[in-house]
Amino acid sequence: MSNSGRWRTVFRKEFSEVWRERRSLFQLVLMPLLITPLLLAGVGKMTRSRIDDARKESVTLGIVGAKNSRLVEELIAGQNAAQTRVSFRPVGTRAEAEAAIQKRDLRAALVVPADAETAVEESRPIDLILLSDQGSDESQNAADSARKLFDKFTTVVVTRRMQAADLPMQTAEPLRLVEKSVAGGGGAGMMMLTTLLPYILSLSAILGGVGVAFDAVAGEKERGTLETLLVSPVARRELVLGKFLTVSAIALVNSVFSVVGMLWPFYVKLPMFAWMAAGGLKLSGGAIAALFFVQMPVALLGAGLLLTISTLSRNQKEAQGYLAPLMLVMSVASMMTVLLKTESPLWWALVPVTNSGLVLKQALSGIVNPTFVAVACGASLLYAALAIFYARTVFEKESVLLKA
Amino acid sequence: MGWTPKPSRSSPRVFNQKFPTAWPWGIFSVLVQLPGFLRYKNPVIEVVGLSKVFSDKKSGPKKAVDGVSFTARPGEIFGLLGANGAGKTTTLRLLATILTPSSGTARIDGFDIVKDSQKVRERLGYLTGSAGVYERLTARQVLHYFGELYGMDLAQRTRRIAELTETLELSEFLDRRCDKLSTGQKQRVSIARSVLHDPPVLFFDEPTAGLDVMAARTVVRFIKSCREMGKTVLFSTHIMSEVEALCDRIAVIHDGRVFADGTLQELRAQTGVQAFETVFLRLIGVNE
Repeated sequence: MSNSGRWRTVFRKEFSEVWRERRSLFQLVLMPLLITPLLLAGVGKMTRSRIDDARKESVTLGIVGAKNSRLVEELIAGQNAAQTRVSFRPVGTRAEAEAAIQKRDLRAALVVPADAETAVEESRPIDLILLSDQGSDESQNAADSARKLFDKFTTVVVTRRMQAADLPMQTAEPLRLVEKSVAGGGGAGMMMLTTLLPYILSLSAILGGVGVAFDAVAGEKERGTLETLLVSPVARRELVLGKFLTVSAIALVNSVFSVVGMLWPFYVKLPMFAWMAAGGLKLSGGAIAALFFVQMPVALLGAGLLLTISTLSRNQKEAQGYLAPLMLVMSVASMMTVLLKTESPLWWALVPVTNSGLVLKQALSGIVNPTFVAVACGASLLYAALAIFYARTVFEKESVLLKA
Repeated sequence: MGWTPKPSRSSPRVFNQKFPTAWPWGIFSVLVQLPGFLRYKNPVIEVVGLSKVFSDKKSGPKKAVDGVSFTARPGEIFGLLGANGAGKTTTLRLLATILTPSSGTARIDGFDIVKDSQKVRERLGYLTGSAGVYERLTARQVLHYFGELYGMDLAQRTRRIAELTETLELSEFLDRRCDKLSTGQKQRVSIARSVLHDPPVLFFDEPTAGLDVMAARTVVRFIKSCREMGKTVLFSTHIMSEVEALCDRIAVIHDGRVFADGTLQELRAQTGVQAFETVFLRLIGVNE
């Protein structure tokens, strides 16, 4: 074997060694392939049932000043008689309504001004005040119901004014919106994929290699095997290359399983995934290629950073300590993809990790922006090269390498 | 029951150097090896004024090894005797090219430790008491891995592993994962790993540290067998009994400097005492 090919031996040994541990199989295969989709299905099901419960739940809205308006009285009577889930309770004053909302006796309340009836007759605008608790989901749901009531109230007032002015009813309704869902455009699951997948993949491309990276140098220091490697004829650059490629490959494997784990629920008709798969999955070949392609520079960057941490640490425990700040930064960078718009300004393509997440988000949304993709990939490769260079520099430092 | 290593039939060689033996190459091979044979008359380890300074941000520069010089010849066990922190391990690491010297030179089997570091490492077997093995691999896989790193092809590795399995009695656990092995068995795997490429020079850095009596005896016997095989052995320890049992010549090292070197008899004569512990203390300037 040529002296320059020994990194292959290191890579082959390290890569195959990873799969000898049950823990690796669990973390790298079982977790992304089974546990993550099952967790998502569980969380999704819980969210859906909560939304359904909220829809079915009866809501009591307070109305202040109902006695001042015959119109409001009629509206309330009509609503209550229809036996919908929204019922109304007259409240004396605004202060009483506020106190009731604070005590959670009421979820929200609508304050009708004292001159409402006169204003309707005189064609003056009427200011209704909606009281709700911004920090409570239930209160906000009730406020939504109040808004719908407000729309109805508006329609009734407009109708009255139209009749008074002897105008045809069509004048009040110049436009009509007809909503139709398009089959195969993707439903809740597709929306979840677009939001969550870039985040999960960016993280898994980096964090998938943590265990391997820490074992590769800090672990070898701990076990006393690193010194035996250093006295072998293998050049240090080859050692670091073999280990670096192992970490990158494992991170990529983890990413691939994460992608597969997020996609298979759409194709397997299981009841628990029904809510996800309901709208179908519209994923082009280009989007799937992008899923895998943009992971590579992120995995390389992560491998470089993790190996550097591993080399700087005396043991795996110390490396775990250094990992916390990196995790935080990476999580924030990944989280940005959830918060940012799909078509963000070009300079976001320079931000590591976030840029790959955005490319994924765009691909999942059917958007292909070659400039953004090129800048994002170029920048990520540059950061990865810097990380590898730094990892190698640290690995050459004898004071760091023999620290124990 | 103790284990006694059987001397290997093979002569010291490096696996990357292959000499054909069939006629007419047999004659050529002898001619080529002749200078090597002559070379073994001379020291295989030559250390001249070797120093290593570590820089520390808090305490400033620290001279761990200070102008160390000595030589060792084939078939000789040369001991580096010193207390913990005396500079023994740093000296061995410098000679093994893990560290770069601040000043001074050293040649191993004719190769400079700085200019020809890879050649030096090819000719070197290195065993420490703290050396571990890859727990998830079997003993056989560990040996194949290191054999590959030393540039041995599959046939060479297979043959050499078979030889060492017989010599070191590894057959019982050769295909068992290393995390299932006892400390003594792991140490035997480490020994096999260090001599797999049949190096002419062997470094042992406190090889019995942390071992029980039986495992330590195995190591000591193996080191003795290396002398019989004509290897040049550099043995670092702080245990007087091991020095007396093993070493042909000794360098007493303290605070990074060699205070004296010679045979056991020469050092006893120099200090005028018989108990070797007292010899050591007198040489480093401690009077009881």
